[in-house]
Amino acid sequence: MADYKTLVAEHERRKAHAMAMGGPAKLEKRKAAGLMDARQRIDYLFDPGSFIESGLFATSYIKEARENSQCDGKVAGFGRIEGRPAAVVSCDLTVKGASSSLINVKKMGHLRNTSIRNGNPIVFLNETSGARIPDTMGAEGTGSLGQDPAQFVRMREIPYVAACLGPSFGTGTWFTMLSDFVTMRKGACLAVSSPRVTSIAIGEEVDSEELGGWKLHTEVTGKVDYATDTDEEAIDLLKTFLSYLPSHHNQRPPSRPAPPDSEHDPEAILKIVPPERQKVYDVRKLVRAIADKDSLFEVKPRFGRSAMTGLARLGGQVVGFVASNPMFKAGALDPDGCDKVTSFLVLCDSFNIPIIILTDTPGFLIGIEGERRKAPGKIMNFMSALQMCTVPRLSIVTRKSYGQAYLNMGGTRNSDDMGAWFTADVGFMDPTVGVNVVYGVTAENDPQKFLALKEEIERDSSAYDLGAIYSAQSIIDPRETRGWLIRMLEVHSRDREKGLSQRRLAGWPTTF
Amino acid sequence: MAKENVISEITGKVWKIEAEPGQKLAEEDAIIILESMKMEIPVLAPVGGVLTEILVKEGDSVSEGQVLAVMES
Repeated sequence: MADYKTLVAEHERRKAHAMAMGGPAKLEKRKAAGLMDARQRIDYLFDPGSFIESGLFATSYIKEARENSQCDGKVAGFGRIEGRPAAVVSCDLTVKGASSSLINVKKMGHLRNTSIRNGNPIVFLNETSGARIPDTMGAEGTGSLGQDPAQFVRMREIPYVAACLGPSFGTGTWFTMLSDFVTMRKGACLAVSSPRVTSIAIGEEVDSEELGGWKLHTEVTGKVDYATDTDEEAIDLLKTFLSYLPSHHNQRPPSRPAPPDSEHDPEAILKIVPPERQKVYDVRKLVRAIADKDSLFEVKPRFGRSAMTGLARLGGQVVGFVASNPMFKAGALDPDGCDKVTSFLVLCDSFNIPIIILTDTPGFLIGIEGERRKAPGKIMNFMSALQMCTVPRLSIVTRKSYGQAYLNMGGTRNSDDMGAWFTADVGFMDPTVGVNVVYGVTAENDPQKFLALKEEIERDSSAYDLGAIYSAQSIIDPRETRGWLIRMLEVHSRDREKGLSQRRLAGWPTTF
Repeated sequence: MAKENVISEITGKVWKIEAEPGQKLAEEDAIIILESMKMEIPVLAPVGGVLTEILVKEGDSVSEGQVLAVMES
């Protein structure tokens, strides 16, 4: 039997070997390219000294490959982010391209299941070449996969967040798709298979940016929330997102005192929103003027921009803002805007975040393109999600809200309390269009009659008409918006359920 | 210098042109104002850079996805 001194030395040698990742040459190359390695990323993510590793001695299950498969290509463990527990899986591209294999999939499963059981977020730092060859070849290789029948199930017990920091294919992509919030370093590629594999399969050259670049994912697929220039920024944004979320579904999101100067100048709102209904403005300015100072954190800012979705704080409490944004497409909600809102409602409801809806929309964007992109189905998904929400929903019509969009944006009983600014106009459609649709009269063919009919249609569409039938519970001066919302959040405290949602949307798909 | 197309995100009519070729623009500066859905809708610079070309004139009808101007970033 060897003595302890020898055993300790051997243990330390093995540890150092595992910690050395793919070796100094490969690590140097990354450093020169300005890329962090898997362990630096973990150090950057977690509070100093809080990381405890899981699976440092895990390697490939193929015995001959053990020596050069440190951590089996995925470094994993637990730590703390701003004092709160979290788990991480950080891909190490220098070891077998961080490809997925039997052992590291087992490792990821353990991290995931432990996080779900105990209630802490899991962070995926992805950079992976896909499934490992030759491990997954043949019936034996492929048939060994899928040992965990719940591997790809999201019931949103805990937040999943992902950063795509390099090539990301196969498992790396799947867990990105399953995440609640995603960042991507510009230059990374997120796709089913690599450009090379794709080129071979379809017989033509494929450009990496076109196949899975940041523009595609922030503007077209909507799966990536933010694209960044550096690894650090991508990780910082994950931390910011998590600062708004509870650690698990049985917790309310962490509140923090509102900064002392959060009571904005109420007159500012009147300067942001023009009283003329044909004039546009950026609703993000309005949300910033209502929410606690500097607390608005948009999600999916480059996607479906006729809708704005963002986390913020009101009087210290975390809320989710949903707003039509007149700055883009006049605030007419298109299929992308609907998808964006639906996914945000699901996020808020699953993690006990009250929803605030601000409406100023001419309605849903109509036209052939919208129909081809399944607008009616998207509108109903949005509606179903809204009606299944059990977190408090407060809505305010600021200038206009027409037709079905009125219901989707929380009209009447589709929110728990509805306010309307005294400027609100609510009806079946914009009165100018309505005159033509109902009476066949336009401003061009009979200006006098048009004006008379327009006045008639407009007469009964005011905020006060909505208040008279108690469909809006409050008609408010725009300057009172912040105060009204903070008081209404207290009224709709859900105290009987301790502020927790019934989570009827928890299993809703994480993509659209 | 990368070429960047400025695309109409909505079907409508060109109401006003707000910038001229050669002008330096910040991201989200207005280039053109369209009229659609009874609203005045700005077409914004997708990136910061120089406006090199405007392909429409006031009064033109434009469709969703149409290239209205070109920038260099």
